[in-house]
Amino acid sequence: MSQTNIPGPIKATDPDSTVPAARRRGSATLLIGCVLAGAVVAVAIVSLFWVPFAPEDTSGGRLAPPGPPHLLGTDKLGRDLLTQLMIGARVALTAGIGSVALGGILGVAGGLLAGFATRWLDDTISALLDILIAFPTLLLAMLVVAAREASLSSAILAIGLAMSAIVARLTRVLVKRVLAQDYITASRTSGTSWPRVVAEHVLPNIWPTLLVNLALQLGLAVLAEASLSYLGLGAPPPNASWGRMLQEAQATVLTAPLGAIAPGVLLVVLVVGVNLVADGLRDVADPTRRRTR
Amino acid sequence: MNRKTTSLFGAAIALALALTACGGTGDGAGTKSTSPASSSNTDATIGIGSLYEPQNLDNTAGGGQGVTEAFNGNVYEGLFRLTDDGKVENLLAKDYKVGSDGLTYTFTLRDGVKFHSGDPLTSADVKYSIEKVTADGSQSARKSSFAVIKKIETPDDHTVTVTLSSKSISFVYNLSYIWIINDQAKNLATTEDGTGPYKLGTWKRGASLTLDRFPGYWGTAATNKQVVFHYYTDATALNNALLTNAVDVVTSEQSPDALAQFANNANYKVNNGHSTTKLLLAFNDRKAPFDKPLVRKAVTSAIDNKKLLNSIWGEYGTLIGSMVPPTDPWYEDLTKVNPYDLNLAKKQLADAGYPSGFSFTLDTPNYDPHPTAATFIKSELAKVGITVKINVITADEWYTKVYKNRDFAATMQEHVNDRDVVWYGDPEFYWGYDNPQVTAWVKQAEESDTAEAQTELLKKVNQQIAADAASDWLYLYPQIVVASSKLSGYPLNGLNSQFYAYGIKKA
Amino acid sequence: MTTYLLRRMAFLVISLLLASTVLFLLLRLLPGDPANSLLSVGASPEQIAAARHQIGSDRPLPEQFVTWLGQMATFDLGTSFISTLPVGPEIASRLVVTVPLTLLAFLLAVVVAVPVGFVAAHRSNRWYGPLLNGVSQLGIAVPVFWVGMLLIAAFALYFHILPAGGFPQDDWTNPGDALTSLVLPVVTIALVMSASLIRYVRSATVDVLDSDYLRTFRALGSSFTMAMWRHGLRNAAVPVVSILGIELATTFLGAVVVESVFALPGLGSMLAKAIAQHDYPIVQGVLFVSTFGVLVIGFIADLVQRLIDPRLRGTLSRSAR
Repeated sequence: MSQTNIPGPIKATDPDSTVPAARRRGSATLLIGCVLAGAVVAVAIVSLFWVPFAPEDTSGGRLAPPGPPHLLGTDKLGRDLLTQLMIGARVALTAGIGSVALGGILGVAGGLLAGFATRWLDDTISALLDILIAFPTLLLAMLVVAAREASLSSAILAIGLAMSAIVARLTRVLVKRVLAQDYITASRTSGTSWPRVVAEHVLPNIWPTLLVNLALQLGLAVLAEASLSYLGLGAPPPNASWGRMLQEAQATVLTAPLGAIAPGVLLVVLVVGVNLVADGLRDVADPTRRRTR
Repeated sequence: MNRKTTSLFGAAIALALALTACGGTGDGAGTKSTSPASSSNTDATIGIGSLYEPQNLDNTAGGGQGVTEAFNGNVYEGLFRLTDDGKVENLLAKDYKVGSDGLTYTFTLRDGVKFHSGDPLTSADVKYSIEKVTADGSQSARKSSFAVIKKIETPDDHTVTVTLSSKSISFVYNLSYIWIINDQAKNLATTEDGTGPYKLGTWKRGASLTLDRFPGYWGTAATNKQVVFHYYTDATALNNALLTNAVDVVTSEQSPDALAQFANNANYKVNNGHSTTKLLLAFNDRKAPFDKPLVRKAVTSAIDNKKLLNSIWGEYGTLIGSMVPPTDPWYEDLTKVNPYDLNLAKKQLADAGYPSGFSFTLDTPNYDPHPTAATFIKSELAKVGITVKINVITADEWYTKVYKNRDFAATMQEHVNDRDVVWYGDPEFYWGYDNPQVTAWVKQAEESDTAEAQTELLKKVNQQIAADAASDWLYLYPQIVVASSKLSGYPLNGLNSQFYAYGIKKA
Repeated sequence: MTTYLLRRMAFLVISLLLASTVLFLLLRLLPGDPANSLLSVGASPEQIAAARHQIGSDRPLPEQFVTWLGQMATFDLGTSFISTLPVGPEIASRLVVTVPLTLLAFLLAVVVAVPVGFVAAHRSNRWYGPLLNGVSQLGIAVPVFWVGMLLIAAFALYFHILPAGGFPQDDWTNPGDALTSLVLPVVTIALVMSASLIRYVRSATVDVLDSDYLRTFRALGSSFTMAMWRHGLRNAAVPVVSILGIELATTFLGAVVVESVFALPGLGSMLAKAIAQHDYPIVQGVLFVSTFGVLVIGFIADLVQRLIDPRLRGTLSRSAR
């Protein structure tokens, strides 16, 4: 479509006038982001070894209010809310990281291919990518889930596939930009092979931007998984997922508000954290990007 | 997804008998229900909230549970009516006689009945309507209950004679499911031509369906001017609609979560009716280890159904201990046959040759309450050494894998209809319970001459399947209708998904 | 411009063709025969075969594909497996909800985001600049369905001032009622959408504020307002317009979730139900119409962008270049 169609956040830079200022602000942002996202990661890791109650333990009674032994109360089936939230953190991170790994690998490979391809192949791949991007992540994911089954791996596959088109398009643009530089032409004329060009010039030049974008995609993937779960297309019950916890708590939003609030707050904390990490990384790794464009 | 499978069984056939009380005269407003309000507005519009939108408006072309709810008795009428408390009354049939052989039924039609299009009701319409259900392309799940029909004759405009190939005490009961449709009607998937107290107003797909009082109705006119069925896709949205007065009544609550908000509020009335929906842990009785009754009994005794019911429905719902709900004439309390008793379960397992337990896969539909119940069962059975692997499947997979291919060890499913204990007489049914004695009893019951004989036989069936633990009947769902306290005259039991709206009054 | 228009339209048509092929293949990969959904317990093998024949799932794939392409070309979207009704009119009846929902939410988001984004950039040194920035940071991280849930809880269930969901059965006959039922869904979408828009507007403004030409103009004596008005706006609008195109498309399709939260009879809720029922014609139809909409929005965004940015004239869209 157009020049600025590169997935958005790359444009959202801070209006810092000097490189050192951007770096300073970048590290502050990075720090806050790391604390927020790190807290969720820590909870997820702890949940691997210890949770207050067994996830299937329904002995707490319906919608017990917060207080010992159930610090945050129980859900409508008598399961401990804190336990569910902790396991939900694991599920959210698994979904996010899994999708980004899949989408990143496929997308970068596809983008490199298009970037180096002949004009005809490049045009075809680009047109296909445009069409794939025209289906938003969620719709594509719904189709994949319908084709397989509602499960965490389906959700990861679906979100990863949808993401790969976006990553591929970005990679292609970045690769083209690097390849247009004079020194590449020079190094090609002097007989450097394409794989060496990729390894020595292309990848080192594009990875900072890619990394920043993948971090932002991680946040989007976490949100997408939550939406799928909310629609009943994520991991089936009784597995915990913040999205489904919210869906289930919807019926009791006035009588037991904590269940309808806590998973949402955690989602926001994780996604804000990840986004801040991405913003911070961009400013630290590539503070001059905006000016060189 | 929930609704899809529910309608699967909602449409399933209940082979059953007609009660002897056949001579009653339907007077057009016979639904037994809450007491009428002293003053009511006959020009009122009643908003009904439901989760079951019709797929289309033709019940022989896959219209589903939704069209039964909206149209049965409201837009279309049968020769007989099944009232909300399970009685069969005459409706479009003024009278009928059964020949001495028990095979020939002669129906006399009511006079002065007109379709919504203005055409008068004739015997040809009745013949057409029955044949529409039994036709080759018919998707009506009731089709097979009419396989006993040998021929239908129409000696004159007011008389229909049906000859059966074998005796069927449930024939008249089954006829209450057949809509009498004008034989000239077209486009039945989107329009209607029935004789009921309402005619179809507008149907806005995905949202609502409006029924308007039919001025030319032959019987007592509806007590309200219009009813609007509002359709929701989840129970929370439905409850919110009731809480914000977007609807006046909810046909059937599917979760206990929001009930507290209504129970403590003078503006609403929570009605606890009689349900016929049973949650089953169905074993594959053909295959080891569940081919041994002792193993099935052990599993049944190892699960605390009371605790399960409480964790899903709170204080609502009933334990039954067999397939027969209290509203069926052949009900008896069989909850003591396989009591919750871990020591008994362990002993039975040892006697059956599994002293250290075994492991099996439980095919679990992916919508509530199944996954929750499966999790519960898994933790209960672990106490007696049985390992459960929960395999979550979609309704579609359930249909193919379990129902069609019988490729399962055990599964969970809701069975919604009344009088469906007779499925245990069919060795070909998905759970594969094969007891020739039970099969014979079920067959004799259908061919019996009196309701007493039929009841006697089906009680024996019931006792036998409980003794064999043919399945584990976990619990009977509650049937909860929540309505604005301004409303009266609504049906409470919603038997077989029907919801008669013509008696509803709004103060 | 005419040549460009023609080439861009050719690209649009090819995209549509490709999109419908992708759609067809994706859908045929779905397991489970839709005939299953048509039948109830007790169906005989003959009934199943009849159902398969009726919906055409017993024919070979290439044949089904040709039929499908022919249908798409004539905008005949087929007949639903489940309801046996034509898909086209049904989609049209759902657009009555989805299109106003999308446009209103979009408008509200733009009206909020453009001034806020501008202020956040222009006043980044005041206390409220970073605050606005932080709020938009929160906004892009909030799941849209959660916002909807909380708004329902507050305004419908607690204060009883707005409906919790649903849409009038007589559509827009009574515009007041229809609008009332759209207030919460529109606000839900607009809140989340304006958060990301603010970031784009802000960064576009920052680019302009930093630009050499703006400095030149101001050095030459133009007032800031004047310089911004005559040159800045146009330059800032270029990236924003193309983002708007994408955001509009996202809103249109993102309505899936919001319609589910608010029980609105729109395209999104129709699609979710059809996927669950394996009702291919409806899924195909909705996705085809949505893709068509998204591609057309992209097309319009490209045209508008060229009209306001002379530098782009002479190039086709980036991807088709």
